[in-house]
Amino acid sequence: MTTVITPYIQNRSRFTARRITNAIMLTLTGAVTLLALLPLFWIIGYVIFKGGQYINLDFITQMPKPLGVQGGGVLHAMQGTLILTMLSAIIAIPPSIIIAFYAAFRPNTLLGIVLRFSTDVLSGVPSIVIGLVGYALIVKPQGHYSGLAGSFAIAVMMLPIIIRTTEEMLKLVPNNLREGSLALGAAEWKTSLSVILPAAANGVITGIMLGIARVSGETAPLIFTTLGNERYNIGQIVQGGDSFFQTLYNIVEQPMDSLPLTLWKYAQQPFPERVNQSWAVALVLMLFVLAINIVVRLWIRSRGTHLKG
Amino acid sequence: MKRQFTIFSLLMIIAVIASACATPTPQTVEVTKIVAGTPEKVVITATPEVKPTTLPAGSVKINGSGATFPLPVYTDWTYAFSYVDPSVAINYQGIGSGGGKKAIVDGTVDFAGSDSLVTDAEYTQGKDLQMYPMVAGAVVAIYNVEGITTPITLDRDTLVGIYSAKITTWNDPAIVALNPDLKDKLPNKTITVVHRSDGSGTTEIFTKALASFSEDWKKNVGAGSAVEWPVDKAKNGVGGKGNQGVTAAVLSTPNSIGYVELSFALANGTPTAQMVNKAKKTVKPNAESVQAAMADFANGFDAKLTATIVDAPGEKSWPITGYTYLVLHQTSMTDCVKAKKLLEYINWTLSDTSAAKRAGELGYSVLPSDVKAKVTAKLGEVTCGGKPVMIK
Amino acid sequence: MKVSSLSFSKWLDQRLNHGDRVWNVLMLTLSLVVPVLIILIGWQLWIDSSGAREKFGWAFLLPTADAAWNPVFGKFQAWPFIYGTLITSAVAIIIAVPVSLGIAIFLAELCPAWLREPLSWMLELLAAIPSVVYGLWGIFVFLPFVVKPFGDFLTALLGPIPVLGLFFEGPLPASGASRLAASMILAIMIIPTIAAVTRDVFLAIPQAQREASFAIGSTQWEMIWQVLIPYGLSGILGAVILGLGRALGETMAVTMVIGNSIAGSVSLLSPGYTMSSIIANEFAEAVDQLHSESLIEVGLILFVLTLLLNSLARFLVWQVARRGTEQDARS
Repeated sequence: MTTVITPYIQNRSRFTARRITNAIMLTLTGAVTLLALLPLFWIIGYVIFKGGQYINLDFITQMPKPLGVQGGGVLHAMQGTLILTMLSAIIAIPPSIIIAFYAAFRPNTLLGIVLRFSTDVLSGVPSIVIGLVGYALIVKPQGHYSGLAGSFAIAVMMLPIIIRTTEEMLKLVPNNLREGSLALGAAEWKTSLSVILPAAANGVITGIMLGIARVSGETAPLIFTTLGNERYNIGQIVQGGDSFFQTLYNIVEQPMDSLPLTLWKYAQQPFPERVNQSWAVALVLMLFVLAINIVVRLWIRSRGTHLKG
Repeated sequence: MKRQFTIFSLLMIIAVIASACATPTPQTVEVTKIVAGTPEKVVITATPEVKPTTLPAGSVKINGSGATFPLPVYTDWTYAFSYVDPSVAINYQGIGSGGGKKAIVDGTVDFAGSDSLVTDAEYTQGKDLQMYPMVAGAVVAIYNVEGITTPITLDRDTLVGIYSAKITTWNDPAIVALNPDLKDKLPNKTITVVHRSDGSGTTEIFTKALASFSEDWKKNVGAGSAVEWPVDKAKNGVGGKGNQGVTAAVLSTPNSIGYVELSFALANGTPTAQMVNKAKKTVKPNAESVQAAMADFANGFDAKLTATIVDAPGEKSWPITGYTYLVLHQTSMTDCVKAKKLLEYINWTLSDTSAAKRAGELGYSVLPSDVKAKVTAKLGEVTCGGKPVMIK
Repeated sequence: MKVSSLSFSKWLDQRLNHGDRVWNVLMLTLSLVVPVLIILIGWQLWIDSSGAREKFGWAFLLPTADAAWNPVFGKFQAWPFIYGTLITSAVAIIIAVPVSLGIAIFLAELCPAWLREPLSWMLELLAAIPSVVYGLWGIFVFLPFVVKPFGDFLTALLGPIPVLGLFFEGPLPASGASRLAASMILAIMIIPTIAAVTRDVFLAIPQAQREASFAIGSTQWEMIWQVLIPYGLSGILGAVILGLGRALGETMAVTMVIGNSIAGSVSLLSPGYTMSSIIANEFAEAVDQLHSESLIEVGLILFVLTLLLNSLARFLVWQVARRGTEQDARS
C-alpha cells in the first residue's frame, strides 16, 4: 500500500510547486505591463495638461508670429513634418522590404551576413552622426539645406528598424505556405510578394509604424540637413504660379521645419510664452503620430481576414 | 470597418489640403508687449511701410544660420521685415556660431550669425568673408539666495572668486563688503555655481570678461565657448543646458548663482546682480549700460570690423558685454536680387526706429551712431557680379 | 513556337517567370545599400577626425584617472564619455529586457483578445513620443518624483556593500540628474520597441507548438519558458539588438537628465556624460578645428563600439543556434 501512496504524494507536491511558479510568473507579467504603461499615461497626461492650455485653432492653422503678437501658430512645422514623413516613408519602405527578403531567405551568403550585421550597426548610429554625414554628402555638394536631404537622413534611420522587423516576421511565416505556392507554379518573386508578405503583414506594419513613430520625433539629423524655416508655407508656394514640377521642386528643395525641431527651438527660448508653446507643439506631434497609427490600423482591419499558421 | 476607414482618411486628406491652402493675409502689425511679472499688457503700434514690389510674396528666400545669442531679436526683425517688403522671406536659424561659420564657408547659407570671431583658417577657406557687428548683448549673473529680495552687488574680483571656487560661501567677507546693508541677511551657506554644460557664445563673452578681470583666470582657465570650470573640480559646480537650463537650475537650487543672457533674465524676472565696473561705479545691466560699453570701444575695431568690449573702462558701462556679428561674402555672391534684398534688410535694422525699439525691449542694444557709420560704409563695398549692390 | 500563335496568358506567364531574374538583381543591388552606407559613415567619420587622431593617438580612449576635456587649451580625452555610454546602455538593457519580455508574454499569451489591441496600441504610442519630450518630462517630473527618492533608497540599501557599493555610492545631486536617471529613461524609451517586436514574434509562433507542450502536461509558464522563448529566440535577440542600438545612440533625452559632468565617480548616482551628449552639446559651437575633430573622433569611437557590440551579439546568436542544432541532431 505504502509503495503506491508515496510516489503519488511526491508527484503532488512537485506539481503544486509548478502551479505556484506558474501563477507567480503570470501575475508578474501582468504587473510589469501595468508598470510599463504607467510612464506612458504620466507623460501623455503631462503633455495634455501643459500643452492643452496653449493650444487653440490659431495654433494649428497659422504661421508663426513673433513674440507678443497674438495668434501665431505652427502651421509651417506641421506641413514640414508631413512632407518629411511622407518623403522618408516613400524612400525607405520599398527598399527595406525588398532588402528584408534577401536577409530572411539568403542569410548565409556573404552579402547576407554582411547585410544583417550592417543593419544592426546602422540602428546604433546616433542620429546626430547621421545628420553630420547627411550634411557632408548632400547639403554641401548641393549648396543649400533642403527637405529632401532631411528626408534621406531620416530614411536612413528608418531602414534598420523596418528591415529587422520585416526580416523576423518573414522568417516566422510557415514554410509550407511558401512551398505550397511554389508547388502551384508561382515564381519566386510572386510567392514573396503575394503570399509571404501578406502573411507577415501585421508584423511588417508594426515595424513600419515603429519606424515612422521613431523618425517623426527626431531632431538632431534635421538640424544639419533641413535647418529649419519659419517662412515655409506650402500654400504660398503653390500659389506662386510655377509649373507642376517647379512647384514640387520648390516644396522639397528648401529648408523646412518640423514639429520636433520647433519644439526643441521653442523650449530653449527665454520667453515663458515660447516654452509654453513648446508643450502645445508636443501635443500636436503626438496627435499627428496617433492619426497615422489609427489610419493604418483601420486599413489593416478593413482588409478583412489575414492568414495565420 | 471599411466605412470607418474611408471616413477617417477622407477627413485627414481634407485637413491636409485645407492646411496647405492656408495663406497668411498681410495685416497691419500691432505689437503687444507682454512684460514678465506685470499684470498689464503694454500696447505699442509698429508702423511698417509696405513697399510696392513686382516680385510675388515670399519669392526671395534668404537663409541664414548661426549664433543663438541674438536669435530672439533676429526672429523679430525678420518677421517685421516681411511686412516692410513682402517679397522677401528671411529665415534665420540658431544652430550655434560654429555651425553658422561652417555653413557660410561651405556656402550653404546666404549669411551667418556669430558671436565668436572668424579665424584666419576660415578667412582663407571662405575667401571673402566679412564680419558686421549687429547688436550687443549683456551677460548677467542671476542668483537665488534665501531671504534676499534686494539686488546683490558683486564686483569683478568677487565674480572671478566665486567662479574659481575661491569664494565659497555667501557670507564671505568680500561679498559682505560690497553689500553692507545685507550683512546680516547673507547666509553662511555654500554657493552652488551654475555654468553652461553646452558650448555657447554666452559662455565665451562671460569667460572673456573673467579673463580680463583676472590674470589668474586667463592663465589657468582661459576664455572660450566651453571651458573646464574650476568649480566642477571643487564639486560645487552644476551644468545647465542652454540659458533655459541655467535659469531652471538657479531657480530650483537654493543659494546658487549662474550666468545668462540679459534677455533671459528680463523675460523670466530672475534676481540679477549689479556689478562694480572697472571705473569703480556700480551699474545695472540694461540697454544704456551696454550702449556705454559699446561707445567706450567705438574706436577699438580692427581691420576686420570686430571688437572686444568686455571690461569697458567707462563709468556707466556694463563689464560683461559682447557684440554679435553677421558674416557675409563680400564679393562672391551670385544671386544679385538676393544680395540686394539682404543688404536692404541689414540697412533697415540699422536705421529703422521701431526695429531699434524692439531690440531694446528684448534686451539687446543697437549700435551707437559712429559704429553704425562704419558698418554702413563697409556694406557699401559689397559687390555682386562685379557691380556694387547698394546704390546710393 | 511563333509569337503570333501564343495566347496572351501564355505570353504573360513566360514574361512573369523571368521576373525572378529581375527580383534577384533588385534584391542584390538594394541589399548593397546598407553596407555601403555603413562604410560611407565610417569613412566620413574617419577622415573628419584625422587631426585629432594624429595628435592624441590611443591615449584618447584608454581608461585613465585624470581625464580632461578642455577646449580652451586643446586637451581632450574621451574615456569618461565611453564609460558613460557603456554603463547607461547596460543598465537600460538590464532593466528593459525582463520588463519587455513580461509585457510581450502578457500581450501575446495571457491577455483577453478584446484588451490586446488597445494595450498594444498604447505601447506603440510610447514609442512615438519624441525624445525631446522625454527629456523635458524627465527634468520636470521624473527626476524629482521618481529618480531622487529611488536613488536615495539605492544608496542607503546598496551603498555599504563592498564592491557593488562603488556603483551606488555618493549622494544623488539635488536635482537628481545622474547616470541612473539616464538609464531609467533609456529603459522606458526602448521597452516599446523590444516589447512590440517580441510580441509579434510570439504571436507568429504556430499554435501547434503550444498544443504539443500542453499535450505533454506543461503549465502555461513552462510552455512559455521552455517552448516559446527558445523557438522565438532569434527574433527576441533581434528585438533586443534594436533596443540596444537605440540606447547607444540616444541623444536628446539623455543629455537633459544625465547632468553633463565628467568630474564624478564611477557611481550610477553621480552625474555623468555620454558620447552622444558631448557631441550634441558642443558640436554646434565648436569653433576650433581640434575641438570639432575631437568631437568627431568621439563619434567614430561610438561607431566602432556599436560594431564591436553587434559582433558580440552575432557571436552569441550563432552559439545559441549551433547548440540548438546539436540538440536537434542528438534527438
